[in-house]
Amino acid sequence: MSERVVFDGVSVTYPGMSAPALREVSLEVPEGELLVLVGPSGCGKSTFLRALAGLEGVSAGRILIGDRDVTRVPAKDRDVAMVFQNYALYPQMTVAQNMGFALKVAKVPKDEIKTRVGAAARLLDLEPYLDRKPGALSGGQRQRVAMGRAIVREPQAFLMDEPLSNLDAKLRVQTRAQIATLQRRLGTTMVYVTHDQVEAMTLGDRVAILKDGEIQQVDSPAAVYDRPVNAFVASFIGSPSMNLAEVDVVDAGVSLAGTTIPVDREVLAKVTSGRALLGVRPEDLDVVGSGVAITVELVEMLGADTYIYGRLSEGPLLVARVDPSIRPALGSVVHVMPSRTYLFAAEGDQSLLG
Amino acid sequence: MIARRDVILGYVLLSLAALISLGPLLGVMILALGEPGRIGINLDIANATNFGNFADVWEKGDFGPAIRTSFIITSVVVVVSVILSVPAGYAIALMDFPGRSAIFALLILGILMPLESMIVPLFLDMRRFNLDNNYWSVILPQVGFSVAFGVFWMRAFFVQSARSLVEAAWIDGANSWQTLTRVLVPLARPQMLTLAVLFFVWNWNDFLLPLVMLSGSDLQTAPMALVTFEGARRTDFAYLGAASIITIIPVVIVFILLQRSFTRGILAGSIKE
Ligand SMILES: Nc1ncnc2c1ncn2[C@@H]1O[C@H](COP(=O)(O)OP(=O)(O)O)[C@@H](O)[C@H]1O
Ligand SMILES: [Mg+2]
Repeated sequence: MSERVVFDGVSVTYPGMSAPALREVSLEVPEGELLVLVGPSGCGKSTFLRALAGLEGVSAGRILIGDRDVTRVPAKDRDVAMVFQNYALYPQMTVAQNMGFALKVAKVPKDEIKTRVGAAARLLDLEPYLDRKPGALSGGQRQRVAMGRAIVREPQAFLMDEPLSNLDAKLRVQTRAQIATLQRRLGTTMVYVTHDQVEAMTLGDRVAILKDGEIQQVDSPAAVYDRPVNAFVASFIGSPSMNLAEVDVVDAGVSLAGTTIPVDREVLAKVTSGRALLGVRPEDLDVVGSGVAITVELVEMLGADTYIYGRLSEGPLLVARVDPSIRPALGSVVHVMPSRTYLFAAEGDQSLLG
Repeated sequence: MIARRDVILGYVLLSLAALISLGPLLGVMILALGEPGRIGINLDIANATNFGNFADVWEKGDFGPAIRTSFIITSVVVVVSVILSVPAGYAIALMDFPGRSAIFALLILGILMPLESMIVPLFLDMRRFNLDNNYWSVILPQVGFSVAFGVFWMRAFFVQSARSLVEAAWIDGANSWQTLTRVLVPLARPQMLTLAVLFFVWNWNDFLLPLVMLSGSDLQTAPMALVTFEGARRTDFAYLGAASIITIIPVVIVFILLQRSFTRGILAGSIKE
């Protein structure tokens, strides 16, 4: 039976470490939801999953699966299935034995194991490989066996730790779609961990962004993109990253390299120190007749879009995503203007919008 | 792709190693086939034709019962020590329980302590329990020494190569015992076989312990029988050589037998991922 997952003020500190790897994380994943936990390497994503699976003890807080408090329950009794980054398939067992291992341990009758393994194998196109050992499979096939091992169990929740990171780019896109379809079909709660914001945006019902062991924002993909709570989330979600520049507040807007960018008065009123962090997504930066002047340093043509990387007279490199018909020469000066802006506090990075 | 030069270098090094280890063995073989009763070491290959030396030595040294005794003792030690080392190594490597590091430290101490420093108290203990001059007086201490090393050896394997598999098994609902027997033991086959070979060689060749423990009985092990050919003043080197060969042949046979499954185990492990 699929169940909700609740983290209630959970902290995890590894032995011998001063800073906790997870800091008072509170989060509810409703029954049947696919939540993607995303963040840079080392932010505590695996720690989150390991705490949920019972592989790591927590130093504070409670973990619930359904209504059951599992904080002190050992891993083997938590009834969750995990797909590891390196798959961790049992090398001496065949694919069928790998997938049936949990059922065998749970003393499920042989016939039923066979039926359930067969059904999962059909779902994942693994039928021809059931008698092979993992060593004789390709990376993609191993990944599917790891998925199969999780599915067969019909657990209360699926935990996925960067399950696609060992696949090549094309297979990754295919498998990503398969995982989403599968999860919707089975309707089982899933916590999916990745450092790849594209995976987060495409897969998740909701996305949780983690930084230094702390949850920054939990929201739908559209909401974290449209209304990031701080500059970290804003720059982490979206590709290429949001342009960020420190700016001075002037009358009716902010000044970026001498050009005034209009900003709502209510928003400006929240700026305290006279300085703020201006954010502009590359897709919101248009090439215009007159505006902010940038010197073109690099032009990337991707076919459907073109990215222009240009430097301000003083300050950072800006990226603009423009129509492929625009092809400025390297070293030339073009003018850009944002059609939409974000504003963050200069100190603390908090969003000043809404 | 391995460069041709590396292949040649490999062969040269292997041949050199083979020469270094086989040379003395060949010497002993020539010695063993030499004329008996002659004083001094005679490595004359032309005279190495006295195959009767082996039969003589077998008879004189009472090697039949000695090899039987050695075989009983060593087999029990090997089997018991491997069976104890695997779960203990697993517990020390992967289970959390109070006193774990203290127990591990104690085991290391067991590896470091030389037998010579313990042999007298050991002997007295055995006598107190009426185990002296009996198989157990050799088997029990040998198991103790072997397990100390065996736990250390298996722990190293479990710590470095099995972490994520163990975690996968736990999440699959397996308890510690199921994880050990169904996931780890099949995986650790090469390590266990290597351990068995090491235990066999060490304990077969052990001399001091059986000498002390069995001195008051008719029991003697193969190395004890061998030493009877080393005279106090005069040594018959042909007989000594023949007795040496007889003593090591069981070790060679065990090694060859175990080695076959052993290389198979290594190959099976190499395609794991
Ligand atoms: N076993 C461990 N002992 C000590 N520190 C650890 C251990 N595992 C992870 N860490 C630390 O905890 C932090 C979070 O790690 P992790 O959860 O693996 O990050 P992620 O999966 O997001 O890359 C990192 O700083 C990492 O170095
Ligand atoms: Mg990780």
